[in-house]
Amino acid sequence: MRVPLSWLKEYVEITQSPQELAHTLTMAGLEVETLDYIGADWGDQIITAQITHLEKVPGSDHLSYTRINTGSGEIGVICGAPNIKEGDKVPLALPGARIGDLTIGVARKMGYVSEGMLCSPRELGLGSDHSGIYILDPETPLGVKLADLLSDVVLEFAIKAHRGDLSSIIGIAREVAALTHKPLRLPEPRFNEQGQPAAELVKVTVEDRELCPRYSARVISGVKIGPSPGWMARRLLMAGMRPINLIVDITNYVMLEVGQPLHAFDYDLVREHHIIVRRARDGEEMTTLDGVQRRLRNDMLLITDPQGPTAIAGVMGSAISEVNEGTTRILLESANFKPASIRRTAVALGLRTESSSRFEKGLDPELTIFGANRAAQLMAELAGGQVHPGIVDVYPKPVEARSILFSPAEVEWLTGLKVTSRQVHEALSALEFKVEEVSAAADAAGGEQLLRVTIPTFRGDIEEGADLVEEVLRMIGYDQLPATVPEGPLPEPHGDHWFEREYEIREILIGLGLHEILTYAMTSRQRMLNLLAEVNAQTAQVLLQKPADDGQAGWIIASAQERAGSEDGLASDGREPFDARSLPAVTIANPLSNELECMRLTLLSGLMETLQENSKRNRAGLRLFEIGRRYLPRGAGELPEERRCAGIALCGPAAISWVPELARPADFYDLKGIVETLLERLHIRRYRFSAAQHPTFHPGRCAVLEVGRPGMDGGERFTPVGFLGEVHPLVQQRYDLPHRAYLCELDLETLYAAVPERLNYAPISRHQELTRDLAVVVDQQVPARAVQEAIERHGGELLRTVALFDVYTGTPIPPGKKSLTYTLLYQAQDRTLTDAEANALQERIVAALGEEFGAVLRS
Amino acid sequence: MIEQLDALLAQLDALQERALRELEAINSLAELEDWDVRYLGRHRGELKNFSTLIPKLGKAERPVIGQKINAVKEKLESALETRRQELRDRELREALERERLDVTLPGRALPAGHMHPISRTILEVARIFTRMGFQVVQGPEVETDYYNFQALNIPVDHPARDMQDTFWVVPGEILLRTQTSPMQIRVMQATRPPVRVIVPGKVFRHEAIDASHEAMFHQIEGLLVDERCTMADLKGSLARFAREMFGEDRRVRFRGSYFPFTEPSAEVDIDCILCKGSGCRLCKYSGWLEILGSGMVHPRVLREVGYDPRKYRGYAFGMGVERIAMLKYAIGEIRLFSGNDLRFLRQF
Repeated sequence: MRVPLSWLKEYVEITQSPQELAHTLTMAGLEVETLDYIGADWGDQIITAQITHLEKVPGSDHLSYTRINTGSGEIGVICGAPNIKEGDKVPLALPGARIGDLTIGVARKMGYVSEGMLCSPRELGLGSDHSGIYILDPETPLGVKLADLLSDVVLEFAIKAHRGDLSSIIGIAREVAALTHKPLRLPEPRFNEQGQPAAELVKVTVEDRELCPRYSARVISGVKIGPSPGWMARRLLMAGMRPINLIVDITNYVMLEVGQPLHAFDYDLVREHHIIVRRARDGEEMTTLDGVQRRLRNDMLLITDPQGPTAIAGVMGSAISEVNEGTTRILLESANFKPASIRRTAVALGLRTESSSRFEKGLDPELTIFGANRAAQLMAELAGGQVHPGIVDVYPKPVEARSILFSPAEVEWLTGLKVTSRQVHEALSALEFKVEEVSAAADAAGGEQLLRVTIPTFRGDIEEGADLVEEVLRMIGYDQLPATVPEGPLPEPHGDHWFEREYEIREILIGLGLHEILTYAMTSRQRMLNLLAEVNAQTAQVLLQKPADDGQAGWIIASAQERAGSEDGLASDGREPFDARSLPAVTIANPLSNELECMRLTLLSGLMETLQENSKRNRAGLRLFEIGRRYLPRGAGELPEERRCAGIALCGPAAISWVPELARPADFYDLKGIVETLLERLHIRRYRFSAAQHPTFHPGRCAVLEVGRPGMDGGERFTPVGFLGEVHPLVQQRYDLPHRAYLCELDLETLYAAVPERLNYAPISRHQELTRDLAVVVDQQVPARAVQEAIERHGGELLRTVALFDVYTGTPIPPGKKSLTYTLLYQAQDRTLTDAEANALQERIVAALGEEFGAVLRS
Repeated sequence: MIEQLDALLAQLDALQERALRELEAINSLAELEDWDVRYLGRHRGELKNFSTLIPKLGKAERPVIGQKINAVKEKLESALETRRQELRDRELREALERERLDVTLPGRALPAGHMHPISRTILEVARIFTRMGFQVVQGPEVETDYYNFQALNIPVDHPARDMQDTFWVVPGEILLRTQTSPMQIRVMQATRPPVRVIVPGKVFRHEAIDASHEAMFHQIEGLLVDERCTMADLKGSLARFAREMFGEDRRVRFRGSYFPFTEPSAEVDIDCILCKGSGCRLCKYSGWLEILGSGMVHPRVLREVGYDPRKYRGYAFGMGVERIAMLKYAIGEIRLFSGNDLRFLRQF
């Protein structure tokens, strides 16, 4: 909402500077977004002048050569605008003047000398109109600095959604008056009524009284259509509207001034002079003034005549009964429409107009008469119109001014600001609320002072005490609020430590040299399918899998052996092409782009893409993690399941370093080590890694992590937490990375559930520990974990720790075999172990390994 | 016999002289051990050879020779010890010299990772409010229209919906939350006062992305409800937050505003962290920076969750995490936060 200060001053005296005024209003909740100083950059070189002679430039289809009276002489100017004629008074920029970035000079063009430039409204900063030269009032004196005549300050407001009453100059003036303790001066429409009464000239039928609470109409005849007077055109321009013709301009002017949208029909084009306000029929069509054919719905309100629609109520009219050059009689509509309906219609049609944006915020039905009369007055005064007596006013249920009982103590109760009853009284009265003191005894027990506050009909936003508190606060000033500390009781602990845990994981991963990234939660199905070496209905399922309470349900886990022996392993089936759209995901109905069409099912695609983007400019390796959610769709109409996850990505060396170990590109065991350290730091001790198959990963370099907890039968139940592995070469090549990439995604909920509730301290044994080394040779395929578990199982309680310290293949170990060397530490809690005991245990272990894995002691 | 005794004594002297001379020339601990065996060896040492002669000597000579042997032995042992110490000292010195490192080479430390500035900012804000007794809770990012709008006093077809352009999953029903405020409703439905929570999280707006607009960003919601809190408490809490977050001398300004789910509502500004209020480009020459929106929980919202607005009062606020981080770290471009350029991330 653009409010020229000169216009505002018509209704309220303003003594503050524009900046002070802007500050006062901003503090009271009417945020002034900009102060636009019109004419501040015009200088002395832009003056008023008059066209005395105009001729077409030969050889040009649009240029004219004009002779211009500058008040002190005559000069020649070339001009390309279509709207000028001899006698017009115009703004003239003389050589040296600046228009935007352009400095006006003397130019020679097509044999003429041009000694200046005629200006359009836009070139002068008077709104956006650039369709022609700005034509000044005929009474304008010549040779005067334009800035002396037209400079102004425009305050631009962002009107909040609940204050339709502020979408007008008078609405703003009312606030200024209240805030600065000045009287509001409203225009009083006065005009003579004569001729046939309006009620005999026009019939109004409102079929839908809910969507149209009031329809007021006047008839004005004998109007002359022409250009608006300069002062009106200038105000419209500064307020951001384009002058069109006197009648349309008057309706716009009154809308800006009083806030009541109006519509002027050509009375003679309204068939049977009968206005019918009704809902559109489904599929009914009409062409709006902007030339677009609109298909209408039954929830849209129309203004029609007996033969068809003539306007979409409160939104836009049509050409059918539009005011035109030949119009002499006006049917003036001043109506009130239901805000939600107007908004729904405007949104559905993609048609937001000055009128619809006012109606949808809610307008006072009492305003229609004032608006109609003000426009009638201007049509009589400026267009020579004759106002017919009376208003046709369909207003079945007049609004009643509501009143509420309000205790001034509510202000302090809610805000902590101490106010007197008198201050409250004054603040509300200034805003035109009617305030009466109510006898306390009659209305309240505590004998407290009560006020009966009657709400002006234009303040539809005020409903209860809290609303009045805000009004009082706005008037007294938010800066008067004291600042105190909440003294109420603290809530009980809620026992959910998700936030602490999430940051603990962040800190651990950062400590391990990983950088945290944060990617979009929106992605596309195609971007996620890029993670699969082979895309088919079955492999795509991994994107949706999640840890389930019943163990491995829903997870694709197969050991290397299983897969080797399986005819229909993952990689071999699903030959038919897979349609990305069949991947279930939370789909965004109105995405910004195809790249962001759905919510992610995995963090891994974002991690891979971030590796890719950074590898272009980063010679060192990349170590990244992200903590965020996966969005797994549930049934139609249900919210998706949001699972918090941590994703990790490694690619290349940890650093550019002279230290070979650090300069070595990351491998599977770097990633696994990170995950193991994370588990250790979280005190999760019951877990296992197993070889697994996953379509994102190298078939021989992928593991699933499972965490364990005691099962019902005394055994251990394992729940999958996530996969880790080396990215499959077919996936890798889609991302153009300089090194092999390693990925991991862990389900945090499952991980948290495995964190022990408390840490148990075991006393440190004071008895001697015995150390034995054990080197065994087993088949290559035997998983190290199985050997370790067997050692632990057979070592029993006295075996305190087992640590693998050497893995060896090559001579003298036979091909297909590997040597594993462990150091075992035996210790009892209650006594000193003898060598014999340790040796016996050691022998038992060796025997068991021999039996289970065919292991032999390395000689 | 005297001659023989003298000869023996002379031999011992010669032995001592020879041994000491040789000892002088020895340069390694290995040679030193050879020398030790040669002269002082318990079985074949040259001195031992003399001891074996003793029983063959007369009673008078035995002590003389015995004493002499002991004297030589002591002399040689002491010289050996001295020499051994010298050699050890030298070898240590040499070893230390050999092991000299270039201590200016970079260390073998693993490179440290960095926390994303958004996570860091959320943590800082959360710490400030948890010190004031707030609990950190989280909620769904894909929400219903009811929680995101209707329960917050933003009915269908309300113009306030224009303030927040929405990504729809099921138009009119399910959406990507445009604010963290729906958690106000969920928290109040799940508990009874007193309530003190903050809700950090992602929010989504259907906006064209540019230097100052993102389609996904983060907010932190705050909600306090009890039987005594006032808007002055809101001001005091936020003033404290501003001072902890942006510096001790920060001033806070409340001004009127409108949010459908608070009444009265206030926009909260701090004096400009760059120019301290005198006016600069950052604050657009106003001297003030807008940091968050706030207000007293609207009675309609309280009634919606079954709280009696005549008994309970509450305040709520919501801030954009990116906005806070941009002000705090002087970042001029919002897209950096989702860009994940390591050159940016490494600075935090």
